[in-house]
Amino acid sequence: MATHSPLQAAQQVLDQRWGQTARFGVILGTGADEVAQQIEADVEIPYGEIPGFPNATAIGHRGQLVCGKLGQANIVAMQGRFHLYEGYSYQQVQFPLQLMRRLGVELLLISNAAGGLNPVYKSGELMVLKSHIDLMFRSWPVSSDHSVESRPHMRADVYDRSLIAGALTHARREDFVLHQGVYAGLLGPNYETRAEYRFLRKIGADVVGMSTIPEVVYAADLGMRVMAFSIVANVAKPDVLEPTSGEEVIDAAAVAAPRLCSLFHQIIRNA
Amino acid sequence: MLELYDQINEAVAFIRDQWGETPHAGIILGTGLGTLADQIDVAVSLDYAEIPHFLQSTATSHEGRLICGSLGNLPIIAMQGRFHMYEGYELKKITLPVRVFKALGADLLVLSNACGGLNPNYQLGDIMLIDDQINLMGDNPLIGINDDRLGPRFPDMSEPYNRLLIDRALRIARREDIIAHKGVFVAVAGPNLETAAEYRFLRTIGADVVGMSTVPETIVAVHAGMRVIGFSCITDMCLPDALKPANVDEIIAVANAAEPKLTQLVMGVLAEESV
Repeated sequence: MATHSPLQAAQQVLDQRWGQTARFGVILGTGADEVAQQIEADVEIPYGEIPGFPNATAIGHRGQLVCGKLGQANIVAMQGRFHLYEGYSYQQVQFPLQLMRRLGVELLLISNAAGGLNPVYKSGELMVLKSHIDLMFRSWPVSSDHSVESRPHMRADVYDRSLIAGALTHARREDFVLHQGVYAGLLGPNYETRAEYRFLRKIGADVVGMSTIPEVVYAADLGMRVMAFSIVANVAKPDVLEPTSGEEVIDAAAVAAPRLCSLFHQIIRNA
Repeated sequence: MLELYDQINEAVAFIRDQWGETPHAGIILGTGLGTLADQIDVAVSLDYAEIPHFLQSTATSHEGRLICGSLGNLPIIAMQGRFHMYEGYELKKITLPVRVFKALGADLLVLSNACGGLNPNYQLGDIMLIDDQINLMGDNPLIGINDDRLGPRFPDMSEPYNRLLIDRALRIARREDIIAHKGVFVAVAGPNLETAAEYRFLRTIGADVVGMSTVPETIVAVHAGMRVIGFSCITDMCLPDALKPANVDEIIAVANAAEPKLTQLVMGVLAEESV
């Protein structure tokens, strides 16, 4: 029997247990379990059963790959993601995206729960990412799975403009608030200090979180169209700061979940 | 991260074998500020090299001893000489002593450092009580699987430095006629000192002083549920439009000259601790 790379082995598991391809990939962050429930799942594969996948440890995160249909379209969804603060390397965080690419994913939809910095934002609202600031201080590994020529144009076009416009239109028609803004990505895992909130706001961030950037950058590198949403879990007011807890973040995120579902349905229907 | 728990226990067991008391506070002293240790009524002095899982201190002017004893009437444990990220150590290893202090029973962490002043209202030799911090080290001591026995996955950082302790220290400073400020400490990895442009950047984002330590220890102490008080001694004025080359000997001389004030403040703060 030939030796397989972890990626080939992972693909083999997917072929055996699902045997289909998907144009759409989804990464569901904290509070987005409702989206997973709307997927007509053919198979749910715990990460532990996929070669090359680490186990998710973060609070509020399950760890399984959900393969099935959302509306009429085949999708593959990560319920629970891998964070750098858990001690995973860039390569480990990015491995599932390589698998998605092999399964045929062309469009990646990402959600996260983030801390609001923009004082106009309210807890439970959604923001579509227009850009980001990478403050994760981790270097970008050279990958062997694709050519150097496909390096991303790290400009505004990483976040697909036409998809953003479509999402904003949908939110208006459905009468809910969808902000567009800038996501600052930090390593974590501690929440930010008041001084850090002021710093991030000053340099142009609207929300702050501990994920998404490694995924976005790599998916773009792999040639996928990318779109990402932040659930505004709480709005930091550094001048009257109160303690934040993980549970609180999950509560606030649940309010936003139906809107996120509606957006995902709409985007996949129209793409 | 789960092996950390065993490492802490091994270090604690070693220290307890030599010293039977429960420390009220742990103290970590910065560059040129190690002689506060002279005020300690020393019961036991341990070389870092003897203590399981402790690192060696290599920085200029840092000694490498753990001192157990009493300061005023309080049992305390103090590191004379600290570990820095720029020495090439992992933040988890650097902050292990904080975990050990907590496991020995200390609920208070006293930190000091020598730092560069960015706020133009500060002067060489002034003391600043750290009110808040910005982590620009590009790393975090809590990365890895969280050990719930040591603290929560996502520690809140809304008050990393205890407000009551800051107010107490400032009150003592006024009483003793010592210039003491309250401000924001930004930590960078170092070891090079910052460029003029970097000083402008750090000032712009809200920092009053800059240093290469303290932030990892504070994050771990908050994770462990300790109260923290941090003293910065401004040993180098970093005014980008009037910048002179930094001289390590001068920095240490300023720190040494400021040391009696720092000692007075730390002693004063500890004297008002109720045991």
